Amino acid sequence: MDATLKALAEPRRREILRLVWSQELPATEIADRFRDVTRPAISQHLAVLKDAGLVTERRDGARRLYRANTDTVAELRAFLDDYWTSGLERLRGVAEEAEARKRQTRRRTKGRT
Amino acid sequence: MAELVREILIDATPETIWPFLTEPEKHVEWEGTVAEIDPRPGGLYRVLVAGQSQSAGEYVEVVPREKVVFTFGWEQEGHPIPPGSTTVEISLHPEGDRTRVRLVHRGLPDDAISDHGEGWAHYLGRLEIAAAGGDAGPDTPQSHEPTV
Repeated sequence: MDATLKALAEPRRREILRLVWSQELPATEIADRFRDVTRPAISQHLAVLKDAGLVTERRDGARRLYRANTDTVAELRAFLDDYWTSGLERLRGVAEEAEARKRQTRRRTKGRT
Repeated sequence: MAELVREILIDATPETIWPFLTEPEKHVEWEGTVAEIDPRPGGLYRVLVAGQSQSAGEYVEVVPREKVVFTFGWEQEGHPIPPGSTTVEISLHPEGDRTRVRLVHRGLPDDAISDHGEGWAHYLGRLEIAAAGGDAGPDTPQSHEPTV
């Protein structure tokens, strides 16, 4: 998960991931989409994405083709979902306990008056 | 901006829930082991999660017993969600004796991926079917662009 998060930290890598989300593309064509980035820089971004498991690479002769590995991307989303879902469930636990104590105190006070 | 929305119904009033969002010693009862929080606009939000991940941001809006809005991220170097890059809004909506707590996390890094409603929506849909015990069937990539 750590490698996934790091790989997605760079906006260009997110852009590359978007490009190969629904179609397989050769490295050369991915590089052509970025006029302000050198080819070696694009190759490096692709290597980081591949190491993080976010894209898969396939060789076709001299060409290298890339496409998004959607399982890993879904994993990142699941991590964030779980972070807040479990947090809110814990909040419910402690808040309901506190509320129950308050209600008990109120009942006792009412009984006395 | 892509956002994540989570809601939970709590059997407690906003008055009871509020201190858990704004008082450090109560905050750590549900989130974090150390909470340095100063809930006023511009105030610090810094919560150490599970003793290792340091989340950080600052408060943007604080309406007592109604909502807190703070920027959010992780201090860990290279994290795709650095401090200040996303915003979390937690709002309290009374429903009788209970309160609906709504959390919206905005500006997540999946924006770039989920263009045209593909991506997350597609996979979350599949996940829901699978979670409900159904069979989502083989995963066919949704190609909406002509293959070059």
